[in-house]
Amino acid sequence: MAAKKLRRAQLSQEMCERLSRYQITTCQDFLCLSLLELMKVTGQSYYEVQKLLCKVSRACAPKMQTAYEMKLRKSVNPSSAFLSTTLHSLDRVLHGGVPCGSLTEITSPPGCGKTQFCIMVSVLATLPLSMGGLDGAVIYIDTESAFSAERLIEIAANRFPTYFDSDEKLVCMTSSIHLYRELTCCSVLKRIMSLEEEIISKKVKLIIIDSVASVVRKEFDTKLQGNLAERSNFLARGASVLKYLAEEFSIPVILTNQITTSLGSGPAIQADLVSPADDLSLSE
Amino acid sequence: MQREVGTLPLAPALRARLAAAGFQTAQELLDTGPCGLSKEIGISREEALEALQVVRQECHGDAARTAGGSGATRKCTALELLEEEQTQGFIITFCSALDNILGGGVQLTKITEICGAPGVGKTQLCMQLAVDVQIPECFGGVAGEAVFIDTEGSFMVDRVVDIAAACVQHCHLIAEAQEEEDHQKALETFSLENILSHIYYFRCRDYIELLAQVYLLPEFLSEHSKVRLVVIDGIAFPFRHDFEDLSLRTRLLNGLAQQLIIIANDHKSAVVLTNQMTTRIGQSQSTLVPALGESWGHAATVRLIFHWDNNQRLATLYKSPSQKESTIAYHITPHGFRDVQPPAVAHSAEGTGMNPRKRPRTEEEKQ
Repeated sequence: MAAKKLRRAQLSQEMCERLSRYQITTCQDFLCLSLLELMKVTGQSYYEVQKLLCKVSRACAPKMQTAYEMKLRKSVNPSSAFLSTTLHSLDRVLHGGVPCGSLTEITSPPGCGKTQFCIMVSVLATLPLSMGGLDGAVIYIDTESAFSAERLIEIAANRFPTYFDSDEKLVCMTSSIHLYRELTCCSVLKRIMSLEEEIISKKVKLIIIDSVASVVRKEFDTKLQGNLAERSNFLARGASVLKYLAEEFSIPVILTNQITTSLGSGPAIQADLVSPADDLSLSE
Repeated sequence: MQREVGTLPLAPALRARLAAAGFQTAQELLDTGPCGLSKEIGISREEALEALQVVRQECHGDAARTAGGSGATRKCTALELLEEEQTQGFIITFCSALDNILGGGVQLTKITEICGAPGVGKTQLCMQLAVDVQIPECFGGVAGEAVFIDTEGSFMVDRVVDIAAACVQHCHLIAEAQEEEDHQKALETFSLENILSHIYYFRCRDYIELLAQVYLLPEFLSEHSKVRLVVIDGIAFPFRHDFEDLSLRTRLLNGLAQQLIIIANDHKSAVVLTNQMTTRIGQSQSTLVPALGESWGHAATVRLIFHWDNNQRLATLYKSPSQKESTIAYHITPHGFRDVQPPAVAHSAEGTGMNPRKRPRTEEEKQ
């Protein structure tokens, strides 16, 4: 939206040419200038510049919807609002399951079962709608190389023996889980940015990132100067793209996190990696 | 009429030409007439006419202003302001302790900022306010509509439905207890569908969309004149990442603050912003302070900080022109934002142990 070119914002041709002489070609460049600067570069009067500002803003601004319209849209398709985890008490607490359209974070000390949970949820997402699944593909971004395909088949065969009765069904299920092994923050971010096209082409219904914490902790030592800012920058950019994908396609996104110790004035307590004392973009 | 040409809102090129031709006051321009002007400066007659119309409008505007005219003027006496403030409504939060420390609730025509760590209840309060602003006047509300600008995607319609249902229920109970006719009439229009239809939701994904939306807000508010609350949930989020140029960020934030102050005043609505917390690393310890830096601190008139104390949520009034600094406890229930039972006694802020205003001047700031 920000990179939208000015000529698509319905400005006149000569105005666009004039602005491009000052290297102002996108809506972002235009809106970042103050009114006086705009008057100088466009050569227009104060009132004219305000009208231009409104025009360009209209090209960038989001569409308005009332809360009522949002509710109606949700109630039209209630079953697609959650992915049931098939653990009844967990589903009850989550009011239905893992919510579609938003980010869910799973956190625990090592060995508690985060990766197992992710593998199970991947199987569930490939199941047809009649069985409570999402009937779609899964994108699994694995940063710890903890994903085991054999375990996947074991879970599927034992959990749903009647459905996965033939090899064909298992093959079908496994070929719709797309695994990406990314080992650096940079490659994770690049992969997240490229997901939009993959989601459309492969009909993806679930994104899992296991785990965000391991790459971040490997690369960013918060004791070093400047690393905290870079780390939160990376997390915030990743988070905003993932939120956009989740909302745009109405699919659940699951992230796993690790536990760290927050040393306060009292006894050391266990807390999430992105604890409140740090920049908490991911938790928002 | 003696206004200088340099102060008129004309295009800079035109102003330069007028100055080069020797024009000094607006009266001179008007006396010359469009044809004379076009010949002297070398512009077309239509352009000259347009310029003269602008000049005439400006001069008439000036005359009206000096005669003590209408709403365009921004000056009035303190007595008029006092009368206005006393009749102004507040937007209640359904937590009586919070309303008390705010002096009645969220004030109209002022900017209120809510800072806090994630999960402490900022968005919950915003959703509660978006419902509470619509309470009819006979129940003590301001009977307005709400604009909700969301930058983080944390707006949950189902939660708003819960909060609105509880609010309607509450009003029904009051109406039954008091049995007045206008209460019944007001309740007919105060239904769930109406409440939801009057919350105007905008989802802004980056700071450019946010800026664009705030530029378009005055127009939107003139069309929807009943709006009494503008919520921007997450003013910090789009400005915290991807900004290498911090001076640009400060400039944009200041511009945004100015726009919001104008909107709050002109349309008599309350503006509520939510902010994140960041760590300020000091010499011996680090403290949590509101994000976006010191200069942003001047934007909001009233600042609330929400924080945790073991398992209790606390709200501290950090900055207010008229109320004392104090801390209260609150609860988030399935019905929304509520008091802790029994209502907590407000105690002074010394107990919170953090007062970043007392920082030494040599400390490095973490923005």
